[in-house]
Amino acid sequence: MTTETVGFEKTLQELGLGEGWKWDKGSWWLTPLNAADVRTTALQMIQLQARFVAITAIERPDKEIRLDYQWDLDGKLLSFVSATSAQKIPSIADLCPAADWVERETHEYFFVEFTGRETTKPLMTRAGDPLGINLHKEVAQ
Amino acid sequence: MSFRIPIGPYHPALEEPYKLELICDGETVQDAVMNVGFNFRGIEYLAERRNYLQGITLVERVCGICSNVHSLSFCQAVEQLNGAEPPERALHIRVILAELERLHSHFLWSGIAAKLMGFKTIFMACFTLREKVMDALSAISGNRVNYGMNRVGGVNRDIADPQAVLNILDEMERGITRTIIPIFLNDKTVESRCKGVGILTREHAKAMGAVGPLARASGIGQDMRRAAPYAAYDRFQFNVPVETAGDVQARLVVHALEMIESCNILRQALTTLPEGPFQTPPPTAARFKVPAGTAISRVEAPRGEVLYQITSNGTDIPERVRVRTPTFMNMATVRFAVLGQELADSPLIQASCDPCYSCTDR
Repeated sequence: MTTETVGFEKTLQELGLGEGWKWDKGSWWLTPLNAADVRTTALQMIQLQARFVAITAIERPDKEIRLDYQWDLDGKLLSFVSATSAQKIPSIADLCPAADWVERETHEYFFVEFTGRETTKPLMTRAGDPLGINLHKEVAQ
Repeated sequence: MSFRIPIGPYHPALEEPYKLELICDGETVQDAVMNVGFNFRGIEYLAERRNYLQGITLVERVCGICSNVHSLSFCQAVEQLNGAEPPERALHIRVILAELERLHSHFLWSGIAAKLMGFKTIFMACFTLREKVMDALSAISGNRVNYGMNRVGGVNRDIADPQAVLNILDEMERGITRTIIPIFLNDKTVESRCKGVGILTREHAKAMGAVGPLARASGIGQDMRRAAPYAAYDRFQFNVPVETAGDVQARLVVHALEMIESCNILRQALTTLPEGPFQTPPPTAARFKVPAGTAISRVEAPRGEVLYQITSNGTDIPERVRVRTPTFMNMATVRFAVLGQELADSPLIQASCDPCYSCTDR
């Protein structure tokens, strides 16, 4: 932990981002993991002028998809973890346009459906291509 | 009457494949639809089926221009997982490579921008200076691209003769200060072609998550080298140029001033290069273990922030390798920059966003 990050968890608490923040290998993580409501979090981050960075999907051994939402708050990376076993999660693209391409890509790679979107046009693949191309097990459409 | 004009994927102005559909009313652009993915190679998928050492070589192929930042980000993430600590000399060498690569990328971008605005003399000047950077990179690494310099725990090659690189740096700096900066900042041709053209407002840049020189030309002053320092960047003094106009000229100015800052950083890194080893001992099967966990590394690439997230399950093959490149965030902003602009200006506006489709598509 660098000197700049010491005590930052208190700042995050004071900003109303909850308790349980921990610095670990390049990011602040809100613990317990799997607890974040992605839309509430997105609204909080936008109000705080944070910059949307990425969504990282990870296929777990039990085939659940873990989704890490990353935001930059003044140079500090904040990660919120959510998970979906039904492969559905609310979209945040209407709140944060920067998430549009990332959601479309995650849909193609991991077959995650982002609910609330009008359309989820292919980004890297083409219409009719199979979905879930990064999954370890073949998933039929 | 409205026209839909498809441009690409074989693009008349830029060498990489992507497709832009411009909806025009006469000569004025009313809307734009961006299509990418023509260079999709499944790098993340491939990286999750190779061991960590193979992964370093693979991710360096994400991009032909900023290849070094990919292997650097990857290695930094693995080092966080397995606790490998690169020696101080290696951290300096990583900065030197990263800044030479930034100069190479900015010269390339400036040359292409000059060519698209019809200023071929500057195109030639930029590419002449770029050759000097390539000579320096070649002298250090043995390669003009894909340098193969980064390893977990340090770098693969030492810089045996820092003075030789400093000599090249003097020549480059003279070219930048005497030719590039005065023309980009003061020349009437540049001004008439670029001022007020392709404006990306701060609000749009922020909403789209834009990063790097594109964002800094729209008033967003973040630079990972300053905001979240890595390698040895916290040892050096440098400025982060920021402009607020958001037009093509502001992007030119930011790129030109960043070249000077890169020269400043290079001079400091080369003159203070510490003595000592440049790598931890070579990994063996017993020593090179990556414990289970997740690590994230962010690096300021020439085009902006690159993020690597690596999740390890304790085996020698990563469970997840996430690569988020700067152009992936920046390219969607083109839609806002071309709105209301002349159709003939759209190639320059697109190019001024410094796109890299190899990075975007991966």
